Amino acid sequence: MNTRPHIALQGLRKLYPGNARPTFDEIWFDIMPGEFVCLIGHSGCGKTTLLNILAGLEQASGGTVIVEGRELTGPGLDRAVIFQSHALLPWMSVRENIAFAIRSRWPGWSRAEVEAHGQRYIDLVHLSGAERKKPAQLSGGMKQRVGIARALAIQPRILLMDEPFSALDALTRGALQDEVVAISATTRQTTFMITHDVDEAMLLADRIVLMTSGPDARVAEIVENGLPRGRTRQELHRLPGYAALRNHLLDFLVERPAGRPADPRHPPLRRIGAAEHPATANPR
Amino acid sequence: MPRPGQRARAIALSLLLLALFLGAWQAAVSGGGGTAAQMDPDYAALMGTAATQGASAMPGPAQVATRLAELLADPFYDRGANDKGIGIQLGWSLLRVMLGYALAVLVAVPLGFLIGTSALLRQALDPFIQILKPISPLAWMPLALYTIKDSGRSAIFVIFICSVWPLLLNTAFGVASVRREWLNVARTLEVSRWRMAWRVILPAAAPTILTGMRISIGIAWLVIVAAEMLVGGTGIGYFVWNQWNNLSITDVIIAILLIGLVGMALDQLLAWAGRRVGYSE
Amino acid sequence: MARFFPDPFDPEACLGTGCGCPRHGSARLACDSPASLEDAAAEAVDTAVLRAILGTDAARRRLLKTVGAGTLMAALTEIFPLATAREAFAQAPGTLEKKEVKIGFIPITCATPIIMAAPMGFYARQGLNAEVVKTAGWAIIRDKALNGEYDAAHMLAPMPLAISMGVGSNPVPWTVPAIENINGQAITLAMKHKDRRDPREWKGMKFAVPFDYSMHNYLLRYYLAEHGLDPDRDVQIRAVPPPEMVANLRAENLDGFLGPDPMNQRAVYDGVGFIHVLSRDIWDGHPCCAFGIGREMAQAAPNTYHAMLRAIVEATTYAAKPENRKEIAAAIAPANYLNQPQTVIEQVLTGTFADGLGKVQRVPERVNFAPMPWDSFATWILTQMKRWGQVKGDVDYAAISRQVFRMTDAERALREAGFAEPATTGRTIVVMGKPFDPAQPEDYLASFPIRRN
Repeated sequence: MNTRPHIALQGLRKLYPGNARPTFDEIWFDIMPGEFVCLIGHSGCGKTTLLNILAGLEQASGGTVIVEGRELTGPGLDRAVIFQSHALLPWMSVRENIAFAIRSRWPGWSRAEVEAHGQRYIDLVHLSGAERKKPAQLSGGMKQRVGIARALAIQPRILLMDEPFSALDALTRGALQDEVVAISATTRQTTFMITHDVDEAMLLADRIVLMTSGPDARVAEIVENGLPRGRTRQELHRLPGYAALRNHLLDFLVERPAGRPADPRHPPLRRIGAAEHPATANPR
Repeated sequence: MPRPGQRARAIALSLLLLALFLGAWQAAVSGGGGTAAQMDPDYAALMGTAATQGASAMPGPAQVATRLAELLADPFYDRGANDKGIGIQLGWSLLRVMLGYALAVLVAVPLGFLIGTSALLRQALDPFIQILKPISPLAWMPLALYTIKDSGRSAIFVIFICSVWPLLLNTAFGVASVRREWLNVARTLEVSRWRMAWRVILPAAAPTILTGMRISIGIAWLVIVAAEMLVGGTGIGYFVWNQWNNLSITDVIIAILLIGLVGMALDQLLAWAGRRVGYSE
Repeated sequence: MARFFPDPFDPEACLGTGCGCPRHGSARLACDSPASLEDAAAEAVDTAVLRAILGTDAARRRLLKTVGAGTLMAALTEIFPLATAREAFAQAPGTLEKKEVKIGFIPITCATPIIMAAPMGFYARQGLNAEVVKTAGWAIIRDKALNGEYDAAHMLAPMPLAISMGVGSNPVPWTVPAIENINGQAITLAMKHKDRRDPREWKGMKFAVPFDYSMHNYLLRYYLAEHGLDPDRDVQIRAVPPPEMVANLRAENLDGFLGPDPMNQRAVYDGVGFIHVLSRDIWDGHPCCAFGIGREMAQAAPNTYHAMLRAIVEATTYAAKPENRKEIAAAIAPANYLNQPQTVIEQVLTGTFADGLGKVQRVPERVNFAPMPWDSFATWILTQMKRWGQVKGDVDYAAISRQVFRMTDAERALREAGFAEPATTGRTIVVMGKPFDPAQPEDYLASFPIRRN
């Protein structure tokens, strides 16, 4: 196992001007190459801000982010963002939205190359036939599929997802979750995803980062998903350890702990949901 | 939701209102014919019908229609520098409006872009724009004539200066209110500033800019009539002024009608363009 | 003698441009000028020759101080044929510097010679292709003339004086080489005042004149003041462009106006007003409108200038003949020019007109046309400008009058057109029975009880 983290968050802090206390502070954790990490926390703990800092869209007030050994300075094509509100450009068709991203990534490509490449991702998210439609003509789920296709089309090293399915109905959400499972099984991309859906985290994540409530939010603990790999939505709740993991996460959300871990650099790491064996140290 | 048949009924109502208006107009001007004063025939020969027969100075709709047909039958005649057909006059006005308006678009859209992307510039320039915006075209005219020293260019300048503000404000507003997430998408894609402006900000702000353009063309068309009345020479404004000198209310009414129709056409043209660049989210 | 150019034989003068002319400070004129352009040409030759021979201004001044102007002149004629050079310059071929000219006019009968010269071919006969352009008001015609959009323009006689002195605009030397019309104005009152014919009853009324610097303004003020009304305190007088006067009278925005024709007759024709008094009954033979041209244009294109002037003088003389008046009325009534019913123009020009009160009046002298820009006219105008506070301080009446109203140019044009030298009629000025002596303008001014100076 490669021990060098793909992304390392080192003491991140965000203080908005005019606020007395930082939104969050002393955020330390790593994301390993190919790992799928979910972040769960109450609203107001700065989850989206944290993701935006990783995307390079916002500046941290303190601390640094190291990506592949280098300090992060701004947005880049190595990271793709899937926005909660899908953020499609409404005057462009599905194809144009995706082509816009592809041209940004490979400016030298011919029209035909861009089309062919885009079509692959349109097919991947099962949107064939809707290429010429404008976002306003699509359902919420279809829009988010476009968002996913656009993000994947630039073949990023890292995928950042900001509660991508929270605005969707349960059925659509389920279908899309299945697709993400399938896609990430093939691409093995490093993925960081914010969610408030415990089942979603259990289904997708290798590790789940739990944050305390803001302001002055911290990483409360990191839970290693011990459920066996190859999970499906239908089978998830039958897996051994499912109840233990779910209860642990729900308890955390209900109790709303606001305390601070003794050592922010090494938040407690727990492995729940499988045959119990001792937790390894936070691999930093 | 309009019920079926409502459109037809609206048209019928419009026609009824028009007929009522024309009827009332005819009735209003045909009165007072019998009050002819007793006059010496030699004297009466020197006087106009308004004085001799007490005829109303207001023409009736029939008179206006006859004269309109007369003017439209030969819209492009040229009987010297000061007497040209109504088509030529409208053409001149449109040409001036287009020049001044094009200038305003060329200046206001890039400048509005700049202002829209910078909150500092927006705040710094706002007082100037607010002061300059409500100034009447006629107030600019003497200054324009004095500095530009050419009445044709002055008229175009006045069109420019009066139509530039709504364009500038709308462009700045449209650019400033481009959704943050669209800009974020472009930023995560490392899009160049130029491509960002052309492919993201401009299309996003286009509906607002078009609204500004629509307001501006209306103002430009209002202004040209006033400017030409002042500067004279050619144009529909000059036509109004020239016929007013002659107290020819018939021609003035026709000019008003044509000004309204052309104004409506310009407005509809931009409304159509606005629909073309519009988008729904 | 006043000169266009600084006198090269004057040791104090400098021949460069932008000379301050300190000696003429009180006149408040843009510059000084000779009586005619022929003199100007002669001076230009003198100056050029002297510069060529003597070089710098400093050298010339030293020489003049030592030997004196007379000696130098004599010495120069010995070595250089100055007289021949002057003559050669003056008799340069009369080719027109500019054939296409634009002349602005306001659509009133005062402009008759300027307008009719186009359709009746007076400009064409001088080789000019003149376009006469209808203009919306006096301020606009002034600005367009100053801009150079017009090569010459129809102006109110006082305007070139005001422009030259920088009253109401920047000072730019402007000239009147020809007067257009004499008489031809009237006080028109709204019909509702037909029983208030005594001006003493006019307190509080609203009047219009075409422009602040107009004979109309000065005549109306004079008329009111003679009847004991202070024109600034007892009534309201405002400037309204002539074409808008009748519309305003109808709308009851005005009680009356001293306006140009055909506006007076048009008010009668439409039953809106009546003619209270003709301007000839205030001052018979008063000038009204002028053919105005910038001195710069006149100097830059002297042949075109004289050609225009000849056309104007011929047209004016033609218009002066009563038998031609109907033909002229037909020529200038269409939409391209005055845009008025022909009968209205005819009544104005023939002097057989309806007075608005039910009578047909016959006053052949209602309007007349005479080109001579007598300097006494200018002097009278200057006294009134000072009387009503438009100019303040000392006014060099004689100098300004002669420099702006260019009698010698008009005389030359008349001579060239084959007309007799003008009689001196019109020089004597009698306004409402009171004679005016142009030699004593300050005494005249002091004799008025109502005045602003």
